[in-house]
Amino acid sequence: MIEVKGVEKRYGLKKILKGVSFTANKGEITCLIGINGVGKTTILKAIMALTPFQKGQILIDGKPIDKHSFEKITFIPDSLTMLPNMTINEAMEFMKDFYTCWNQKRANELLGFFRLDPSNRISSLSKGNTAKVNLLLGLALDVDYVLMDEPFSGIDLFSREEIANVFTSHLIENRGVIITTHEIGDIEHLLDKVVLLDDGLVTKEFSAEEAREKEGKSVIDVMREVYQK
Amino acid sequence: MKNYLQLVNFEFNRIAKLFTVLLGITFVAQMIGVVVQSRSYLNMANEKMYKEMMPQAEFLENFGQMSFLQIARSSWFFGPIALCIAGVAFYIFFIWYRDWIGKNTFIYRLLMLPTSRLNIFFAKITTILIMTFGFVAVQLIIIPIEMLVMKAMVPDEFRLDMGVVEVLTTMPELTLIYPSSIMQFIFHYGLGLLAVSILFTGILFERSFKWKGIFAGLLYGGIAVIVLILPLLLHEFVLNSYFYPIELFVLEIVMGLIVFAASIWVSGFLLKNKVTV
Repeated sequence: MIEVKGVEKRYGLKKILKGVSFTANKGEITCLIGINGVGKTTILKAIMALTPFQKGQILIDGKPIDKHSFEKITFIPDSLTMLPNMTINEAMEFMKDFYTCWNQKRANELLGFFRLDPSNRISSLSKGNTAKVNLLLGLALDVDYVLMDEPFSGIDLFSREEIANVFTSHLIENRGVIITTHEIGDIEHLLDKVVLLDDGLVTKEFSAEEAREKEGKSVIDVMREVYQK
Repeated sequence: MKNYLQLVNFEFNRIAKLFTVLLGITFVAQMIGVVVQSRSYLNMANEKMYKEMMPQAEFLENFGQMSFLQIARSSWFFGPIALCIAGVAFYIFFIWYRDWIGKNTFIYRLLMLPTSRLNIFFAKITTILIMTFGFVAVQLIIIPIEMLVMKAMVPDEFRLDMGVVEVLTTMPELTLIYPSSIMQFIFHYGLGLLAVSILFTGILFERSFKWKGIFAGLLYGGIAVIVLILPLLLHEFVLNSYFYPIELFVLEIVMGLIVFAASIWVSGFLLKNKVTV
């Protein structure tokens, strides 16, 4: 389980996170939702120790993050994390060299799934295919947790569908996923848990299934209630 | 250790092109220098001896024989060396900032590697060292080739042959790059390594705290320099030349090691706890 406990983060004088707390379980898809600038990406970066925070604690399976955690958790940001002059093959070689949890079989499967040519240079790829390479590099790691930042941002409809299909496949099964997205419609039916953020705080944390079954509300209905009151 | 070596290999491959281009420029420019300087000497000899009918002995007495020093003192020789030094100086900053700047956010990947983040620091500083010693070593190999070209162009009686060591020790500018004793080697390159480690720490301060980090980095650099020259200051202004030169040298080495260790520790701390992407 990923536990975010009372995290506070300041950029200069501006407080971005004012005590954010939530949990994300293994085997579930947790979605962080909030308007731009609310601190969704900052939370993901803080979980990965890519940005410091002033107060609070983040635990991954009960332990603070350290170098060994990166074999257990990965982050797929919305920008490229490989050198643009590398080919997809070279990028996979790099991952294989450094991560013992790299799964080449799964990487090959993802190449087929996304219809990517491994000899292509990353810099020559379209935005949609670059996002797919990013996903490939993250999902081919045998990790327990995957953090994804806006995987659908600025991507055409068909690529979005392909990426959304990943969530219903065995590529995600049994992993804990935290995702931030604006394109809630693409994956609403797949979400297990939703964390709504506003003004640096969690305004509501709820089970999507419970809301659907007990209250007959979709995630978007709950969002309307929270954000438009 | 394996991850460190893999990172060094990876970092070096990233500069291999720039490194090769600079080596190529050095070789070509210095070779042109050999040809230009040799021809200019020979032209002058021809002018004096065949047009002005000056006897060979008188020409040699007035203008002297040509030695490799004439080439080594020309900007054809020093220009590319300066370019390589500028290249290394530029790369000390670029080796960090290229991972953050623009579309390239490779720093995400580097910081998410399942290895100590200090390995990134060590790999980058090692790459700078390899680059520096690479230039120094290749220059040493190029000089005898240039001497051979000069020999082929200038006849024996007009030429004063010198060994590589003789050339290197005669020119004070070159003794900076090729120190004549092991002590000087430790001093010159140790100081260089120390300077790079302090600059790296300064860069990481800036990457951690942005504008405030620039001031923190400058402050760190200032404190590091003061600590480093503390024995010299005490020796000069407080203790009335109390230390023997060898004692002062050992004290400086100790201070250098302290500053180097502090730079590594602070950089490790910043990379682990403060750096932001």
